[in-house]
Amino acid sequence: MRMPNRNTNCLCLLTAAALALLTPGCTAVHGGVDPSTSAVPVNAPVHGDVTVWSWNIAAKSLQSLTPQFEQDHAGTKVTVEMNGTNIQSRLLLALVAGVGAPDVTQFQFFEAPHYIATGTLADLTPVAKKYETMFPKAVWQNCTMNGKIYAIPWDVGPCALYYKRSVFAKYGVDPDKIRTWDDYIAAGQTIVKKSGGKTKMLPLGANDMEDLFEVLLQQTGGQVFDGQGRIAVDSPQATRALSIIKRLRESGICSDVAAYGQEWLAGFSDESVASYPGAVWLGGLMKDAMGDYKGKSTDWGVTRLPAVDPGGIRVADWGGSVLVIPAQCKNKAAAWAFIEYALCTREGQLAQYHKESLFPAFLPALQTKAMDEGDPFFGGQPVGRLFATDVDKIPPLNRTSNWNEAVGYLKQDLSHWGATGMTDPDVLGGVARKLSKRLDLAVAPSVPQGGRVSQGIRPPNPQSWGNQTCDIGPTIDWQMPANDPSSTPVLSPQDWGLGGRSPSTTRPLLSPQDWGLGGRSRWSTVPYTHIGGRA
Amino acid sequence: MTTTLADLRRYRQFYLFIAPFFLLFAVFGLYPLLFSLYLSFVKWDGLTPMHWVGLGNFRRMFEDDLLWRSLQNTAIIGLMYVPPMMILAFAFAQLLNAQWLKFKAFYRAALFVPCVTPMVVIALVFSLIFSSEKGPLNYLLTLLHLPSIGWLTSEQWSKVSVSILVVWRWTGYNMILMLAGLQGISPEYYEAADVDGAGAWHKMTRITLPLMRPTFRFCGLLSLLGTLYMFDEIFVLTKGGGPGTSSLNFGQYLFNLSFNDFKFGYASCVAYSVAIVVFLATLIVNRFNRDEDAAPKRGRLGAA
Repeated sequence: MRMPNRNTNCLCLLTAAALALLTPGCTAVHGGVDPSTSAVPVNAPVHGDVTVWSWNIAAKSLQSLTPQFEQDHAGTKVTVEMNGTNIQSRLLLALVAGVGAPDVTQFQFFEAPHYIATGTLADLTPVAKKYETMFPKAVWQNCTMNGKIYAIPWDVGPCALYYKRSVFAKYGVDPDKIRTWDDYIAAGQTIVKKSGGKTKMLPLGANDMEDLFEVLLQQTGGQVFDGQGRIAVDSPQATRALSIIKRLRESGICSDVAAYGQEWLAGFSDESVASYPGAVWLGGLMKDAMGDYKGKSTDWGVTRLPAVDPGGIRVADWGGSVLVIPAQCKNKAAAWAFIEYALCTREGQLAQYHKESLFPAFLPALQTKAMDEGDPFFGGQPVGRLFATDVDKIPPLNRTSNWNEAVGYLKQDLSHWGATGMTDPDVLGGVARKLSKRLDLAVAPSVPQGGRVSQGIRPPNPQSWGNQTCDIGPTIDWQMPANDPSSTPVLSPQDWGLGGRSPSTTRPLLSPQDWGLGGRSRWSTVPYTHIGGRA
Repeated sequence: MTTTLADLRRYRQFYLFIAPFFLLFAVFGLYPLLFSLYLSFVKWDGLTPMHWVGLGNFRRMFEDDLLWRSLQNTAIIGLMYVPPMMILAFAFAQLLNAQWLKFKAFYRAALFVPCVTPMVVIALVFSLIFSSEKGPLNYLLTLLHLPSIGWLTSEQWSKVSVSILVVWRWTGYNMILMLAGLQGISPEYYEAADVDGAGAWHKMTRITLPLMRPTFRFCGLLSLLGTLYMFDEIFVLTKGGGPGTSSLNFGQYLFNLSFNDFKFGYASCVAYSVAIVVFLATLIVNRFNRDEDAAPKRGRLGAA
């Protein structure tokens, strides 16, 4: 009689204790800081400690700036903490708890809107407004919400076409004559034909099409979300982007290998593929993956990205990061001073470019002679200048707080479309309906948007875009993008012992262990670096 | 009845001794469990305040075609890999239990290596094996004049590829369990059967299989849970369920919901619902098994 009774009591006690624990857990989740005090003060004295969270190469890059910064601002001390795979979980916990966050932290550009929308980041508008025109719109847009600025772009990922000089020469293809995707397909067919199918033009697996889709979407002037956060993916521009992918694949010039897989990387040094359309950081990945590339150093060249139409824009943005100050930061003045030095000065940005090859998002830095230096890997070609060309003219994508979730579903549907022969004419309609249902968002009325951009003619004055910059109401509730393990859970070449680093602020992706899933030790040793998708 | 408090004081040293476990469990086990239950009724992205939605999450579940798709995929993958894995594991266990086999420790280790190999290595090797362009598997197929297969690029074959990987990875683990089960069977039964003139077939069907039943059940239960919450195989091999949603299983879907979509409330609701269904199913299966076991066992032991 007594034993079960005691057990029950014991259980009751435990439950009560647990409930007691539960209650503060529920109330502490706001992580909110009074918005009135969350703005960075203007002209405040700069002193004290600044803690920065960042990862691998990006952290090293910032670290190299600290001596100069501390010298310029006496009484400051900057500590750059290298966080590996656990940065996101740690940061999330710190933001939820309202304490424990660093003074400055890094986000990948595409996940910044998600955090901005939660109101846990400091408002940088008073101090950062003056830099608005000094960054490409395409990246600045991810840093603002409702006309306020919450993040500063760090590096930018302009895309171009990497090609193998020897292969192009052997099959008589002139890279300078590849001006549109049509030219590109024709050139690819020449190479595939003359090589007897041995050499393909580019690697493009059915499972990895969303990155190229995002690139093409910028070139055609399409959007996933319109300016009001409604779903606008089922548009003529997006259909156009998709039709280019379809033609690429159907023309037989694609090698069907998984992106960033071993065979994909092998294409860097053998003749299985002739070219890679990719962002500026892909060059670094090539250098790393090829390791000892002496003698082959002249084999890779870079030409501008093919345009959708003749005379159209020949660049798109893919990758990069931002720096932010959490609203809970106590020393916002010093934190801002560091960000300003690192990202909003030529000196800071160029030091990082020279040290770790991070491609500056700060436009004045791109106008310097540093961009004209030849890169021995590319046979002395001044690729910096090539990548810097028109970076300020890239049409911005409206990345909303649920961007990453949307991209996850987009990827799913594109991959289904690709694996089933690309026959479904209504694939984008399906994506729009799926997004509408899963994100609880309206579908935008089918008004052709950005028509001029789709013709490849950008609006005459980049400044005029200022007003339309991402005034997207925070449709946050439970649709939150974050990094996207499902879309490209890529193993980096580093993990495979290929060594080296790619010069981008690429983030080591969270591992399941970070989230307490399974917690098997084998994960902890391997940062699943997210070099792919949206590096 | 009313002496509980007095009892507490009287046995307080003992409670003190067992307290560490219960405290840790309360913090790291019970609290998340209850918190997750609470989350099932709210909308929460992890950062902004929660919204109570009552049974809204549960209602949403029934319209969630991706959830049903993932459960269906989970069931298909389970049906595809559990039987071959069990049969293989049992066959290997039987072999390793044989008297005449030499280098047993070596084989045992060799078979067990896959399940302690880091998933990165496995993923690298298997993505090469399954490669549609230059993969050795497709090369073998062409040698046999069979058409090559898009192991990881076609929706029809992605589940098969996952199943092959899982069989390769977890057969050794199940084999060890079954080997333990086989070694737990007293040799006296076999000796008695020899005396009675029973052949190998009868020994297998009348002694080994019936006595292995608890082991099979245990392995089956582990496989059921393993299938449902299988994650890294899919995360790495098919990049989280591709192509399309053809290999999206429940574990991966739950991960996407929580850590890609940040729908912690809805994810908790889904996790809880499925866990309850599985728990009930396991209870029922166990009840059936117990009823089934009880009668013949007593008879057999009586006979022995």
